[in-house]
Amino acid sequence: MNTLKSLGIPTYNAVYNSLFPNLLKRTVAYKSALSLNNLYPNSSLKLTTLSLPPKHGNEKFSGYIPIEELDITFSRSSGPGGQNVNKVNTKVDVRFHLQSAKWLSDEIKEKLSEKEGYLIYKSDLTRSQQLNLADCLEKIRSSVRECLIERAEPSPETTEKIRRKLERAAKERLLIKRQRSQLKNDRQAPQVVL
Amino acid sequence: MPNTVDKALNLLRFLPRVCLANIRDNPGSRRGPRRGRAQHGGDKHGAGNKGSGQRQNYMRIGYETGNNPFYLRFPWEPYYKGHHLKRQYPPLSMLDLQKMIDLNRIDTSKPIDLVAILNTGLYKLFPDQHQFGVHLTDDGADIFDAKVNLEVQWANELVVAAVERAGGVITTAYYDPHSLQAMLNTKKFFERGIPIPRRMMPPPDAIEYYTDASKRGYLADPEKVSEERLVLSQKYGYKLPKIEDDPDYEMLTERKDPRQIFFGLDPGWVVNLRDKVILKPQEEELLKYYAS
Repeated sequence: MNTLKSLGIPTYNAVYNSLFPNLLKRTVAYKSALSLNNLYPNSSLKLTTLSLPPKHGNEKFSGYIPIEELDITFSRSSGPGGQNVNKVNTKVDVRFHLQSAKWLSDEIKEKLSEKEGYLIYKSDLTRSQQLNLADCLEKIRSSVRECLIERAEPSPETTEKIRRKLERAAKERLLIKRQRSQLKNDRQAPQVVL
Repeated sequence: MPNTVDKALNLLRFLPRVCLANIRDNPGSRRGPRRGRAQHGGDKHGAGNKGSGQRQNYMRIGYETGNNPFYLRFPWEPYYKGHHLKRQYPPLSMLDLQKMIDLNRIDTSKPIDLVAILNTGLYKLFPDQHQFGVHLTDDGADIFDAKVNLEVQWANELVVAAVERAGGVITTAYYDPHSLQAMLNTKKFFERGIPIPRRMMPPPDAIEYYTDASKRGYLADPEKVSEERLVLSQKYGYKLPKIEDDPDYEMLTERKDPRQIFFGLDPGWVVNLRDKVILKPQEEELLKYYAS
């Protein structure tokens, strides 16, 4: 007798029965050729929570800011906007004490400390509180990075050039002043001393 | 103090039941149709005086009385080229999603995918109109407060940040139109008696999006996704919740295989709802095909 199988037609066998659901419990999940362990064989495929970014070389500031150490307050923004601007707290105020900040190096603290105590960053750029907070953090990061830029000092030839220019300018100014004063003097009647 | 509301309610106790006989429209809310007779409606019958308005001999649409008309000035306009073939992702705001969760239309103790959102009945999708899934928008991202395992088709950075801040996990996944039709009306699909198809890979212009960890693509490396989670928490200024210590960690990291359409059902299986039986292929050729 020719069965369907012998004729080459694909057959199905009932393997799962709803009356006895635990009879053949699945132990292996479905894995296709495109599953993640085939695409990334060297990865652990686990979703984890990193606390610090991976270090890249000798950079002084990686851009990481511990959010818990910042004092964030929300308030209402200024400007037009009707009921929305009157009611929604979209303005963000971020403060932190500079000297006691552990996440900044002393070099950065020195350059940032124009005023004693707290550094305040505010933003009401967008209509969204979250985006304004992101803007505040970006301001903090950009001000820190600006401190770390090493400005090139002018060469001795340039400094000498500048000094000579200033001297010449001063001489010129004094000459004009003297000439002016002489002119004023000539307008007066001469003082005859007998 | 005479309370108007109490007075009104007292009156209501003795008034007769509302029926068609004792209600009428507000005066002036309905104006009857004007017939073409007598002073109002007659005379020129709304056609005005002289001109093409009264004589009904209008110029063709777009005609500009002789000069080269706007619709003929430009031989082609590439701005809209291929617009009718582009993929569309009808939006679902985070506000709507939060409402659905709060009103128990969606169960947050299980992973939320397109099937769950479609089953609420509040979100409609039409795959035959080039619609490819859910685009989660950031409207309501600041008040989103539900810990969920979410799988959508498109989400921007702020949305991802909002979901992860609440302690959840979001993934973007692609479904081809055949899979979408199966997901839309699952019961009808099972009644067709055909094996569950494999989910197709995204088209070439979408592969980059779905393999990107910063977009939480389903084809991206989960390790890179973990790094991106920190990056986003730093950008938007929130403390990243530790999902490994969460008791629902297993549920939150539950994911479908890239070829799988439904949770718990493999491609190739035939689901018989009437006899409550699932038929699985046994032939090697078929097994190889469905696992490829």
